Formats: sequence, C-alpha cells, structure tokens
Amino acid sequence: MNLNHFIQRAVADFRQNLPMQLMTTVVVCLSILIFTFFSFIYYNLQRTVEHFGSELGLVVFLKTDIQESRIPILHQKLLNMPGIESVKYVSPEEAFDRLGQYFEDAKGLLDGADQYFLPASFELRVNRAIFNLERIQALAAELEKWNEVAQVQYGKSWVDRLSAFVAVGKKVIWVSAVLLLATSAFVVSNTIKLAIYARQEEVSIMRLVGATNGFIQGPFLLEAMFQGLAGSLLSIGLVFLCYSYFKGVLAQTELMRGVELIFLPFSYVSSIVISSIVFCVCWTFLSIRRFLLV
Amino acid sequence: MRGPIISFRGITKQYPPDITALSDIDLSIEKGEFVFLTGPSGSGKSTLLKLLSCMERPTAGELSLDDFDLTNLSPSQVPYVRRKIGVIFQDFKLIATKTVFENVALSLQVIGLSSEQISKRVRDILELMGLATKATSYPLQLSGGEQQRVAIARAVVNRPSIILADEPTGNLDRGMTNEVMALVEELNAEGATVIFATHDESLFANTYRRVLTMKEGRLKT
Repeated sequence: MNLNHFIQRAVADFRQNLPMQLMTTVVVCLSILIFTFFSFIYYNLQRTVEHFGSELGLVVFLKTDIQESRIPILHQKLLNMPGIESVKYVSPEEAFDRLGQYFEDAKGLLDGADQYFLPASFELRVNRAIFNLERIQALAAELEKWNEVAQVQYGKSWVDRLSAFVAVGKKVIWVSAVLLLATSAFVVSNTIKLAIYARQEEVSIMRLVGATNGFIQGPFLLEAMFQGLAGSLLSIGLVFLCYSYFKGVLAQTELMRGVELIFLPFSYVSSIVISSIVFCVCWTFLSIRRFLLV
Repeated sequence: MRGPIISFRGITKQYPPDITALSDIDLSIEKGEFVFLTGPSGSGKSTLLKLLSCMERPTAGELSLDDFDLTNLSPSQVPYVRRKIGVIFQDFKLIATKTVFENVALSLQVIGLSSEQISKRVRDILELMGLATKATSYPLQLSGGEQQRVAIARAVVNRPSIILADEPTGNLDRGMTNEVMALVEELNAEGATVIFATHDESLFANTYRRVLTMKEGRLKT
C-alpha cells in the first residue's frame, strides 16, 4: 500500500463525505476554542499579576531613634543586596515636603505640624526580571527583621488580594477547562464514531475484498489528522481575532496602562495544535477498531 | 498429483444457543472446477460460502483453501485469503458514494498496485464487462444487471483463483441472468474455480457440472 493511495483516498473520502467531515471539524474547533480561550485568559491574567508585582517598589521605614551614622551603612547594605536596582534615602524633611505637595489644596492642614514627625525611609526599586511577587514578599519579611527597620511597605493588602484572586481564578479556569475538555472529548469521539458508522458498509466491503486493517484505517487517520489540524488552527485564529480586538480596547483603559495583552507563545500554540491532532487520531483509531474485528 | 483447492472435513457450524447451520460437511473441490450449490433458503448455502470467505469460523472440523488452513487462521492472514477469492453477492454490495471505476479499483488498491496498473486493469475489465462508458457513473445510476456486472468486475479484476457467487442472479431478469452466467463461465474457462450458489434450478438443469444439494445444513448425496 503506498502513501499516494492513502492521500488520494483520504481526499476523495473527504469530498464524498463533506458535510460529516465539516461537522467533525467544527466540533473539534469549538472544543479546542474553549480550551484555547481559557488558556489565553489565564496566561494574560498571570502576566498581569506578575507585571503589577514587579512594578511594586518597597518602602523601608526606619525607626525614629536611628543614629545618623547608620544611614549610609544601611544604604550601602541595601544596594549590595542582589536584585536591588536603586535605593533612595528619603529624610523626614523630604517626606514632610511630599506630604505638603500631596495636600496642596489643603495647605492649612499641616500648619503647626513638626516637620520631623515623619520617619526617614529608603525607597527600593527591584529588578523586574528577578523579583516576582513572591520574592518581593520574602524580601520584605527579611528586611523587617533588621533592628533599624520599623516597617516595610509594598502595597501588601492590595497584592495579597490580587494574589488570592489569581489563585482562585487559576483553580476555576483549570477545573472548567478540564470539565470542558472531558465534555469535548465525549462530543468529538461521538462525532467521529457517527462519521465511521455512516461508512460502516464501505468498511465491510473493503474487508471483503481483502483490505488489511492498515489499508482501511489509513485514510480515516489522515482525515482525523486534518480535522485536528484544521479545527485547532481555526480555533487559534478565532482567539487571535479576540486578542486583536481586546488589545485595542484595553490599551485605552486607565487601569490597564502599562500592561500589554499578549497572544499565547508559539510553544503553547504548537502544543495545542499537536495535542488536537493526537487527540483526533487516537479517538479515530479507537473508534474504528471495533469495525475491524474479523 | 494435485490435491483439491478447497477441502471440508467434518465441518460443523453452530450459532448460539443451539442452532446448527452446517452439520458434518465433507467436500472436496478441484482446481478449475465449476460447482453449483443449491438447496432451499436456510439450508446452509450462504453459511458454507461465509466459511470460505472467512466471514465465519467453523465450530468443528477441518477446512482448507489453497494453502491456507482456515480452521486455525490468524486474523492477520484473513485479508490474504480474501485476495485469493472473488465474492459476488445477490445484493451487489457496491459502495454508493464511489464511481464504478473506484468500486472496481478497490480490489487492486488493497494489493498495492500502482495507479497506472490499476487504471489499465480496471479499464480492461470494464471493457470486457461492457461497462466502459459507465466508469464515472455511480452504482445507483445503473440498472440491476449493470450493477451486478460491476460487482463481478470487482470480484475478478485481481484475478482470484476462486470465485464464490452467492445467488448472483437472484435480483436479475432472465436476459441479465444469462449474461451473468456467460461471464462466470468465461472466468471458469480461464481457470478460476467457481462455487455458484443458487436455488434457480433452470441454471443447472441439463448441465454436465457437479451440483451439490444442501438441506437442513447437510449435503445430500
């Protein structure tokens, strides 16, 4: 049996059973679409959280009774820590000035206040490539152990809430994806079975004229490969259209400033395409086996 | 000395729970022989042919076809037995979605011939069967006689050594029946062994060929 016959028969079969073939391809496409869309949302959500996390700087508030001579030492100590890009010392006077600027419209509010009542602090910027959210949290915990440090702030409550949201979101997305995938597997396998049932007589005639199982299966498996490929590419194309649309919309919103929506990476996309092909071929192989019993 | 091409020794076929379709069949058919197989409906004619085409397995006895021991045949060998046999059915068993050419070509595709060889041999057999102008037609566009000729073309295009015909004229009028008989006799004259199952006695009345009569799963002597 040569490959040329396989391909010719697969093409001829595809033409002759076009409605059934298209239906199977559409079902595969919808199933993969759901999974791809969930993956796309999750991927971007995770990136967004990483982005906000890495945007965060740390503010290390010093105790009010700290000796002046310790400040340059601490400054250097912080700078020497791996992943710290810059350290800026904010004296109590500068902090007071900033507060004044913040309350510019209500200047009287700070009248009579002692300009040294705010604590001195260090503002740290960290390397985004190295510091994710978890590492910032760990760094803050470590700095709080220092004797001269009164408190470390990094938007903890906001970050904690965001992290909790992402963690729940991650679980919901994966549970939904698994359930949808199981449903899709059922629907796709039944569609493939229907397509084979429709050609049951053809298969029995092939067997009667001496076709081997490989000869009978070949075109079915080639068709399944095509359905998996076409279905997955179509679904990825649809998600790409959604991505293109939402990218433009989100770029105009204030909340998402600085966060760029990105499409699934090539490795992810190719995994989806390959998995889709493997899935269709395996189900077809298993579905057709029962018709090949001698 | 040449042995029989088909040999049944004590063949019995039973279906659950206790239906006996064939009982203790002993039969030898020589290479190149033309044998009529007759008997009323349910007498076991089709079951006997199904055993030869490996659609069924015997319950007891020994069955051989050419060099194959059909009693102990592994599933992977079945296609190779079937390639030695051309089967013609009463209901034609053509694939409705394929053209006449594609239906006939199927028998050659399974044995792995090239497209050129397939094209030549299919066109030759269609010419011989008087179907050259119908190559691109679909089975349902043909008359019953034409469909049966396509089925015969498919059965013999790969030059099988044995032809099993299961009531091939059952759905045809007298003129078409004679046409089909002439074709099968021509194939036999070229060397094929033929087992022709029919309950139409007129086909073998006055024949010099061997007639096997079956009744209730047994061969009448």
